[in-house]
Amino acid sequence: MSISNYDARILKAPHPVPGAPDNWKRFFSFNTDAKVIGIQYIVTSLFFLLVGGLLAMVIRGELITPPADLVDPTVYNGLYTMHGTVMLFLFLFPILNGFNNLLIPTMIGAPDMAFPKLNAAAFWLVPVFAIVLMASFFVPGGPASSGWWSYPPMSLQNPLGRFFNGEMLWITAVALSGISSIFGAINFVTTIIRMRAPGMGFFRMPIFIWTAWAAQTIQLLGLPALTGGAIMLLFDLSFGTTFFRPEGGGDPVLFQHFFWFYSHPAVYVLILPIFGIFSELFPVYARKPLFGYKVVALASFGITVLSLIVWVHHMFYSGTPQWMRNVFMLTTMLIAVPTGIKVFAWIATLWRGKIRLTTPMLFCLGGLFNFIFAGITGVMLATVPIDVHVGNTYFVVAHFHYVIFNTIGFGVFAGIYHWFPKFTGRMYYEGLGKIHFVLTFIGATLNFLPLHWAGLLGMPRRVASYDPEFAIWNVIASLGAFILGVASIPFILNMISSWARGPKAPPNPWKAIGLEWLLPSPPPAENFEDDIPTVINGPYGYGLGKPLVDDEEFYIRRANEA
Amino acid sequence: MMPTSTENQGINYGAILVISIAVGVDIFFSVLMAHWSYSWFPVQASSAAPYVDSLFSLETGIGTFIFLGCTGVMAWVILFNRAPKYDEVNGDPIEGNIKLEIVWTVIPLLLVLAIAAYSINVNNTLSTLGPKQKYRVGDNPAALVSMDPKSTVGPIEVIARQWSWEFVYPDGVRSSELHLPVDQRVNFRLISEDVLHSFYVPAFRLKQDIVPGSVISYSLTPTREGRYRLRDAMFSGAYFSQNQTDVIVESEKSFADWLDLSAKQPLQPGLDPSQPLYQRRLAKGDKGWATVPPSPPPLVNDPGNPSAPHEA
Amino acid sequence: MTTSNSEVTLKHTPGHIKHDGHNLTGFIIFLCSESIIFLAFFAAYIVLKLTSPEWLPEGVNGLSIRMPLINTVVLVSSSFVAYLAERYLHKRNLWGFRTVWLLTMAMGSYFVYGQYVEWSELAFGLNSGVFGGTFYLLTGFHGLHVITGIALMALMLFRSFLPGNYEKGEAGVISVSLFWHFVDVIWIILFVLIYIWQ
Ligand code: HEA
Ligand code: HEA
Ligand code: CUA
Ligand SMILES: [Cu+2]
Repeated sequence: MSISNYDARILKAPHPVPGAPDNWKRFFSFNTDAKVIGIQYIVTSLFFLLVGGLLAMVIRGELITPPADLVDPTVYNGLYTMHGTVMLFLFLFPILNGFNNLLIPTMIGAPDMAFPKLNAAAFWLVPVFAIVLMASFFVPGGPASSGWWSYPPMSLQNPLGRFFNGEMLWITAVALSGISSIFGAINFVTTIIRMRAPGMGFFRMPIFIWTAWAAQTIQLLGLPALTGGAIMLLFDLSFGTTFFRPEGGGDPVLFQHFFWFYSHPAVYVLILPIFGIFSELFPVYARKPLFGYKVVALASFGITVLSLIVWVHHMFYSGTPQWMRNVFMLTTMLIAVPTGIKVFAWIATLWRGKIRLTTPMLFCLGGLFNFIFAGITGVMLATVPIDVHVGNTYFVVAHFHYVIFNTIGFGVFAGIYHWFPKFTGRMYYEGLGKIHFVLTFIGATLNFLPLHWAGLLGMPRRVASYDPEFAIWNVIASLGAFILGVASIPFILNMISSWARGPKAPPNPWKAIGLEWLLPSPPPAENFEDDIPTVINGPYGYGLGKPLVDDEEFYIRRANEA
Repeated sequence: MMPTSTENQGINYGAILVISIAVGVDIFFSVLMAHWSYSWFPVQASSAAPYVDSLFSLETGIGTFIFLGCTGVMAWVILFNRAPKYDEVNGDPIEGNIKLEIVWTVIPLLLVLAIAAYSINVNNTLSTLGPKQKYRVGDNPAALVSMDPKSTVGPIEVIARQWSWEFVYPDGVRSSELHLPVDQRVNFRLISEDVLHSFYVPAFRLKQDIVPGSVISYSLTPTREGRYRLRDAMFSGAYFSQNQTDVIVESEKSFADWLDLSAKQPLQPGLDPSQPLYQRRLAKGDKGWATVPPSPPPLVNDPGNPSAPHEA
Repeated sequence: MTTSNSEVTLKHTPGHIKHDGHNLTGFIIFLCSESIIFLAFFAAYIVLKLTSPEWLPEGVNGLSIRMPLINTVVLVSSSFVAYLAERYLHKRNLWGFRTVWLLTMAMGSYFVYGQYVEWSELAFGLNSGVFGGTFYLLTGFHGLHVITGIALMALMLFRSFLPGNYEKGEAGVISVSLFWHFVDVIWIILFVLIYIWQ
């Protein structure tokens, strides 16, 4: 495919209707179309949301009563370790890469990613490390069970003394996941830097692009540190070194620094794209320009920079010296400032808008509501004296599920509903969507709100059994969790039936502004093909009467005719 | 605090009134929550507890104010700014407001700076955490850190294991439960023989990880007599959740009596909470996922009373 | 959009930069990221050396510096040689490029050989405490990069014989020589840390 009269598009699927019976097979192939890869990512990761959710159901089932009665404590430890790992590495990271794949090229008017093959390779690593991770359930001794932090020396104990053990497979899977993420990050950043449509200067990029860029920068700068730590951990586990083993002069706390140097910033890798989704959706459903666009855009990189210098807040009681605790308390709290800028900007965007409570908007509002709460408990955790009490208790578990499920999860659902018509060419059912929202909101609140009190009273996390005084909070939480399990039913129903036989979606069902909405639904393989539009205005011109691109009518007409 | 200043039509007394009422209500609930938050904690049994609780109360108040402020505006918007069905018009095309943006950057900045400054102050006042000293496995860690000069009791050696606790007093008495005299600053040497553990007493509001290969000097002052839970708070493997014991804070006299009495007791196996579970597992054919076996019970003078009720 | 069909894209994406540039951009981003792993290992080395209660394994007094010093000279000068090769290529002196490029590869291989000899003469192993661990980790991980660099150079050398290979630019060779400089800089830091700072 090197001569110019050969059209590269022929290699890719013809105008795809994803899911149409004639070409569903390409979702199971090494396809290099970013939109196919995006959907591959999203479907795979939703499957693993179910897996991680199922593990969570067993966890909550165990915790509904104080003693360890449902499963053996060793099994419990394996379950929550795998729950955290699956949710983070097989659900959240991949699903956000799915969004990146769908949205980055279409939003900046690029035909594809800068490195399509690398992109496909990054995706296909996901099933590979998924299999490695799932295989660990079946090796003798069971899967890794030292928490998703895998702190040595506990993680190095390897009771059965075998070379292939759960921990070893776990490290391998995490390392492969890191390689996949780095491939992805190189691709996304290069694409954003070099493949924007003519006229799309940095300050005309949609906020989602800004946040994706800020997030992927974190991946590039942080992930290698974890990879380095993981390599050393693997050597300690399997090849007899003593980097983290005290016998032999090693330092267990050193690993914690490696781990959190990446894994703290990682939480902003996860939340930044959600900030992007909020920033895209609020203007659409409030029919107003995003308030303070430039500041919101730059705040993303403010968060990136700060996120790299706060990691010790996970180690306030690890024996870190006093000055370190003080310094990192301050840097951590500073993150509230750029984040607050964003929160206030969204609220100002809503103010005096024309609010439309569609399913995506409901999930955005619910997510923002939960996020403000979660951020405040975050600042409490950043306060050293408070963290010294509530650290490693259910207060932390409650805090991070409030961000990770009640905010990020909500944002993910909002994004799925919002862009569903664009990339499948079908409308979803609003009624089912609203049921999904209501059940999710109630379930999530019942599940994670009470756990704050369990933590304040001193219930440690990662316990298979607990003192009876914590029972009440856990019963409510478990009920909430089961409601969340039920909430997945309308969602799954909606997705499958809408994709199969939902009403055909117009190119721009939400009357949204953005390059992706100037494309047909679903977009053809190379997006704008030969006619890349020239961007002449900023991305959120609601009510401003300024067209986004030159000759907008042409694109609208073409999208409608496709 | 919300973007009402975007209106430019002179002074709108109605709006000012509504906002004042809203802020008043917000402040009212914030103060209420701040007071209420004290009841979410276990009893205050150390000199750290009042600081922690009041810091928490302060942040609950500030947090409630911010949370209600933001969500209040959201609720207002949802109630009163809804687009009627089939209404396709846009909202006011407001793109920003520099003054407002400066305000909501500077206020949070000042707030967190103030909280951080105050917390640093509290840290310095309590100065619980002493030096951490690495040692060569096999050497005697006790000699490595000297006693915190501000404390009057100790150093008591705290030895954590998979999955039991052992306390060694300066006069050699060993116990499975931690006895402390009230209102005296106690110094500990935290030691682990296997993996990471954490010394956590919720009623004290204090926790400190115990790192194998290092000895950590740690000090605190109990302020209230009673029996409180001491929990391992750093995941330490299969029977982590069982790794609990009690702290007994008592008057100076009972403490001294207890030391005397214990010194006369012979060494005997102490609390070993994971052993029964482990035996049950073995009896069932060692099913479940792999674990290292529990370390043998520590030999102590006073094995304690695991069935006594704890207060917090 | 791979480089192989860049003409197609160039045609349909006006106003955007020549495609070959993507590869170099991507590669530079990759190198930045890669350098963090080394930074992590260096940090581990420094921390462990400064704080470990037992650093040198029993019977080991330190490292001899002679052999590694020769190695360092060879590797560092090979960077300049690689640059020379690049210049030849730029002037379209293909045989000049190939010869000098091969010389770079030879110097790289000598380095690997020197490393091998050093390793085989050492009195301690990977499992000799934190000193042994960090020593082999750092030199080994760096050695892997040298070997990768040589392999990439071999690939570039091979490609230079393909007709029309440089019509779309020299990004491949530029990237590989960038990688070589990177490996070089890493070595200098490593040399200072391990051999000079004893
Ligand atoms: C995934 C997303 C995510 C996000 C976005 C955050 C956001 C924050 N987190 Fe959280 N956190 C986690 C995920 C996340 N966290 C996870 C997974 C863990 C546990 C991991 C584990 O242990 O397994 C954790 C644990 C954790 C700890 C460690 C606790 C412990 O283990 O002892 C701390 C401590 O400082 C902390 C703090 C914060 C802070 C300060 C923020 C801030 O970014 C929040 C900023 C936002 C706001 C403050 C709200 C909006 C701002 C305003 C409205 C302005 C005005 C506000 C003020 C002036 C207060 N988090
Ligand atoms: C993306 C991240 C993410 C998400 C979404 C969740 C979601 C949930 N988590 Fe999370 N959790 C973590 C990340 C996450 N968690 C991490 C990192 C840890 C720390 C681990 C550690 O300490 O090492 C943790 C730990 C953790 C604990 C603490 C365990 C302990 O410390 O002992 C608990 C306990 O309540 C819990 C519960 C839940 C529940 C009820 C949900 C619910 O929201 C889940 C809702 C479920 C669904 C939406 C799916 C429903 C599916 C079904 C019911 C099955 C149906 C099946 C089929 C159709 C096949 N989690
Ligand atoms: Cu493809 Cu530029
Ligand atoms: Cu963090």
